[in-house]
Amino acid sequence: MTLSGYEALFFWIFGLSAIFAGLLTVMARNAVHSALFLISSLVSVAALFILARAEFIAGVQILVYVGGVMVLFLFVIMLVNVGAEERGSEEIFNNQRQVTASLIFCLLLVAGMLYSINTGYRGMQSRNTTTPDVVAAQESMRDQAHPASATGSSRITKDAENVGGSLYRYASLPFEIASVLLLVAIIGSVMLARTLKQEASADDADPGIAD
Amino acid sequence: MKQAAANPDLSKFLVIGALLFIIGVAGVLTRRNIIVIFMSIELILNAANLNFIAFSRYLSGMGNSNALAGQIFTVFVIVVAAAEAAIGLGIVIALYRNKETIWVDEIDLLKW
Repeated sequence: MTLSGYEALFFWIFGLSAIFAGLLTVMARNAVHSALFLISSLVSVAALFILARAEFIAGVQILVYVGGVMVLFLFVIMLVNVGAEERGSEEIFNNQRQVTASLIFCLLLVAGMLYSINTGYRGMQSRNTTTPDVVAAQESMRDQAHPASATGSSRITKDAENVGGSLYRYASLPFEIASVLLLVAIIGSVMLARTLKQEASADDADPGIAD
Repeated sequence: MKQAAANPDLSKFLVIGALLFIIGVAGVLTRRNIIVIFMSIELILNAANLNFIAFSRYLSGMGNSNALAGQIFTVFVIVVAAAEAAIGLGIVIALYRNKETIWVDEIDLLKW
């Protein structure tokens, strides 16, 4: 799985950009700035997905997550957050106990992560029998076997085909359940966002119906 | 050390995922704005997605036939995240209509 060459360079660029943008999401004063930093973090993670050869998931992430969910966030910020800018600089962090609790929790997570990475890395290194350049050569050979795109400048990978095949063959029941979940979410969000006047007018039946 | 940095392995992906998770948890616990709390939750879900994809790539490199399960699960995580964001923001809008505030420490009607 080792990346090498340009892939390693882009991995570090997009990885550090994702972490930096995530950090700024949490620390920005303005909610719109937080949303824009989260968008850049999500796009960086989509680039990491492409480096991990999950091109379909990267496309889904950019279309659905960035193009749908984050745009929804921006709309809601537009609707509810207008008073914040007028008030000037307001304090954004909660009281001292919350900050301390989160810092302790994050330190515990960092310690656990360092311990598990160090222990697991030694186990994985003992299992790695091939060197990175051999793996890179194998993978570039496999890349050349893919069909070329219409313009001839890149190759079309089989990731979307494989994910679609597995999804519809082995995971079709969770797929249908996910569709029902989305339907329920649509109905629920329409119902939650109605104003009192809209709810009251729904009770006015058609004058022709006698009830 | 230089070779470990020049050839990032599975563990580097996991480290980035874990760091994003930690940043998201810190955001959920410390911010006052409820919309920024929601965005931190999206960061947490994204970190979990990155873990899934990293392991799927590692297993497909190992030759495991079940390696695509990581990518399929990622699709479902994105679906659930989108549904949860829609409902959560609907709740935020309804809350704002009733209480005219977005600061979580002012939403304390059920507090004893």
